[in-house]
Amino acid sequence: MTSPHRTPDWLLERIALGELPPDELAAARDRLSREPDGPARLAALEADSRATLEALPPDRVAREVKARFARADSPAAPHAEASPSRPSWRFLPALVPVLAAATLVVLVRPGASSQEQEARDPWSATGTGGTPGVLEPTRSKGLQPRLDVHRQVGTRTEHLTDGAPAQAGDVVQLSYTAAGHAQGVILSVDGRGTVTSHQPALGDTSASLERSGTHLLPRAYELDDAPGFERFFLITSDTPFELEGVMAAARVLAASPEARTAPLTLPTGLGQTSFLLEKPSP
Amino acid sequence: MSVDVEAYYRRYGPQVLRRCRFLLREEEQAVDAMHDVFVQLLRYQAALKDAGPSSLLHQIATRVCLNRLRGAKRRPEDRDDELVLKIAASGDTEARTAARGLLDRLFGRVPASSRDIAVLHLVDGMTLEETAREVGLSVSGVRKRLRALSAVLQELEAA
Repeated sequence: MTSPHRTPDWLLERIALGELPPDELAAARDRLSREPDGPARLAALEADSRATLEALPPDRVAREVKARFARADSPAAPHAEASPSRPSWRFLPALVPVLAAATLVVLVRPGASSQEQEARDPWSATGTGGTPGVLEPTRSKGLQPRLDVHRQVGTRTEHLTDGAPAQAGDVVQLSYTAAGHAQGVILSVDGRGTVTSHQPALGDTSASLERSGTHLLPRAYELDDAPGFERFFLITSDTPFELEGVMAAARVLAASPEARTAPLTLPTGLGQTSFLLEKPSP
Repeated sequence: MSVDVEAYYRRYGPQVLRRCRFLLREEEQAVDAMHDVFVQLLRYQAALKDAGPSSLLHQIATRVCLNRLRGAKRRPEDRDDELVLKIAASGDTEARTAARGLLDRLFGRVPASSRDIAVLHLVDGMTLEETAREVGLSVSGVRKRLRALSAVLQELEAA
């Protein structure tokens, strides 16, 4: 007696892994056993699994995965290939000074051995001198422009990773590292298609950036209840540039289905990096 | 929950690699995509629900591969391949609110996208009911998503 249809590959995988409800698993195994090539397919799959684990040992794969994961969170990561996750939110207009105030404590760490480490975890630094808001006094050679987002959690702050979940009411603070570039724009695109320029907040041309160090934007924000995602972009250049082209590119992206992951289409000479926050959807 | 990559790979890696091979048809790309699937798992580990890892990884792999195939110029090798390529290359015709990412649904926030549903149903051979269960939608919801790719389907029927 044969089964009227062949067990599909996806079900064969579940059978091999035993990841089905018990009654379904039993039925699927029984059906597979009655298919002419069922047992052989299962055996072949299990043999292939063994071969894969031999050819690509778990420790080696784990190292590579962790390295990629770390790179995705590094300043040099091309965030244009951000995850296929989603976000959308808007800044409430209300200025939320508490987070910024908390960070305006001097964060310069003279003599730090790893400037890049400071850039990655700027709020962990402590000190008693320096310029308010400057988290890193000099840049490392080769350091790439980056955006960082921090969230206030109770009385402490949390450094978020690209793609981190967020929700309405979260208070977030942005910081940037220009890595030598003199001009830039920081804007956001959300799931509602709203494009907001955060720096400069006004004007027609790019803002002057601090070329070295990591710098906080002058204000923190409370996320509103816009659903989906919020994606921040840092666009950098060595020379001033008009905002309109960048904002137009952002509006085009915001209206596209790829707003969460695709890069902005920008003129030659402008660099970009992005940071994604994900929010619940209705 | 925290993800032990090595343990997850040991149990699910071969399945993920087979999925990537099936969709990408190229070993090197498949291995590369397989790594990225686990990167995605790590990225969302904080929100990960400890339920159905096999289903989860199957769909993450589907999404990662579809994204890679989008815009690919290679020639289809068989009908399934042609279908996958067409689905991957198709624009998601639904509004963004309906085109949520796979990971969003997997982590309990939003439904899977139409492209994933189309692959599960049309390529993997899942029934509407199985597809609906897989992506956490109603059967009617799955039908609705599939209609969003009707242009692709019509093209296939005409072929």
